[in-house]
Amino acid sequence: MEPEIEKKNTAVLSKGLTEFFATVSGLTFFSLSFFKEVFLPPYEIAEIKKHIEDLGIKTLPIVTVTGFIIGLVLAMQSEPVMVRFGAESFLPSMVSLSVVRELGPVLTALIFAGRVSSGIGAELSSMRVTEQIDAMEVSAVNPFRYLVVTRILACIFILPILTLYVNFLAIIGGFIAIYLSQGMHFKLYITAVFKSLEFADVIPGLAKTLIFGFIVGAVGSYKGYNATNGTVGVGRASTSAVVMASLLILLTDMVLVRLTVMLWS
Amino acid sequence: MVEVKNLTKLFGDNLVLDDISLDVKVGENAVVFGRSGTGKSVLLKCIVKLLIPEAGEIIVDGKNVYKIKEKELNELRKSIGFLFQGSALYDSMSVRENLEFPLIRNKKSMSPEEREERVIKALKDVSLEDAIDKMPDELSGGMKKRIGLARTIISEPKLILYDEPTTGLDPITVKEISSLIKELQKDLNVTSIIVTHDLLCAQIISDRAVVLKDGKIIYDGGLDYLTKSDDVFLKDFFTNENIYANNRSINGK
Repeated sequence: MEPEIEKKNTAVLSKGLTEFFATVSGLTFFSLSFFKEVFLPPYEIAEIKKHIEDLGIKTLPIVTVTGFIIGLVLAMQSEPVMVRFGAESFLPSMVSLSVVRELGPVLTALIFAGRVSSGIGAELSSMRVTEQIDAMEVSAVNPFRYLVVTRILACIFILPILTLYVNFLAIIGGFIAIYLSQGMHFKLYITAVFKSLEFADVIPGLAKTLIFGFIVGAVGSYKGYNATNGTVGVGRASTSAVVMASLLILLTDMVLVRLTVMLWS
Repeated sequence: MVEVKNLTKLFGDNLVLDDISLDVKVGENAVVFGRSGTGKSVLLKCIVKLLIPEAGEIIVDGKNVYKIKEKELNELRKSIGFLFQGSALYDSMSVRENLEFPLIRNKKSMSPEEREERVIKALKDVSLEDAIDKMPDELSGGMKKRIGLARTIISEPKLILYDEPTTGLDPITVKEISSLIKELQKDLNVTSIIVTHDLLCAQIISDRAVVLKDGKIIYDGGLDYLTKSDDVFLKDFFTNENIYANNRSINGK
């Protein structure tokens, strides 16, 4: 490699690494500020309620479609293999376990990140570049508590509810696929589903959505709250929030799955 | 009321404010002039600690804004109004909610009726009572500026910092807004620092003019002298003489 190209590549790599570590440390301090501020009054309950309604309504149509299709496709894809091994009676258990333990929480969180993290990033960054956050600070209102804490709390609260809803729809979707191919009765299907699901399957799946909710809210808020460079910064905050939140969700899931397996098995 | 001592502010390598000092007395209207990018808005933001300077200190109402604790700073900020250049209205809230926002949080003892009364009075002051239930995106630029002013004065602050309060407004509204700023000074003894390029506004409200150039204060005194000055920069800034001379040379007359 020519020395000049090598030098250029090293500069790009070092800039990338600097930005990465700056983001990691920035996000860490931002998250710590959340835990410091969340217990301090005023609690802005009305604002939290408004965000919960807003985020829930915004995400409901897309998670409805996704939830139903996950279950349907999962059952359709698995059915031929299960039939080949003579294990078609395990289809309800397979669908419900896959959905409740992994697919439901992770896919809901990823969709939620795409819809909400970018929205929060865009909203807060536009408030930042139009000096609305400064105006709040000057009027002696803590903008972090009013804008960031309320949004993160709303995400933490709403994501487990959405996940439960997606799980339910996916199980229904799975039933329709199995009913159409195997003619299985609903009562039999639902009995098999509940028989296979244990406390150890449902709780870890739901518990991790609390962490995913925090990631979505914190990343979106962090990117938006610290946006610079005018309208360009608004676009950048919105897109980078989705990428970063999705990546963090998948990485965290990997760690949490390992932890769950260690703790519960 | 406001003492700025040896303030220096840098953005990267760019020296925006270079060791400036300024003392604004209670009840005084100080107008700050200067070309775009000379640090006028930066000066205002340093006063309320939205920006932190590299050197120097600012004392507002006897308190050093960089040394007091967050709680004290917030108490101090309750007595300061800030009109932003772009109005900075909260775009997810209606005009009423924008005006109520500081009252709900900072004047908790105020009843909803008193709050409503205060909102209507502030809107009357800026002649926009009809806009009370409108959203910011339904307002023109000039209307936004006036609502921004109403939100600034609604808490009855002791010190108001205006960042270009009349830019983009028609001459009649400029006179109305300028007269309102003057009235606030007369009736409530409000101290104001006004950053503007608008000579008409300055003529109505100023007790004192400060001119910034290359990060330094090059003039601090009465407005009258500025319009008669022989200094090339001040002449260029405050009179139209050179514009006419330029036009004549371009047109070859």
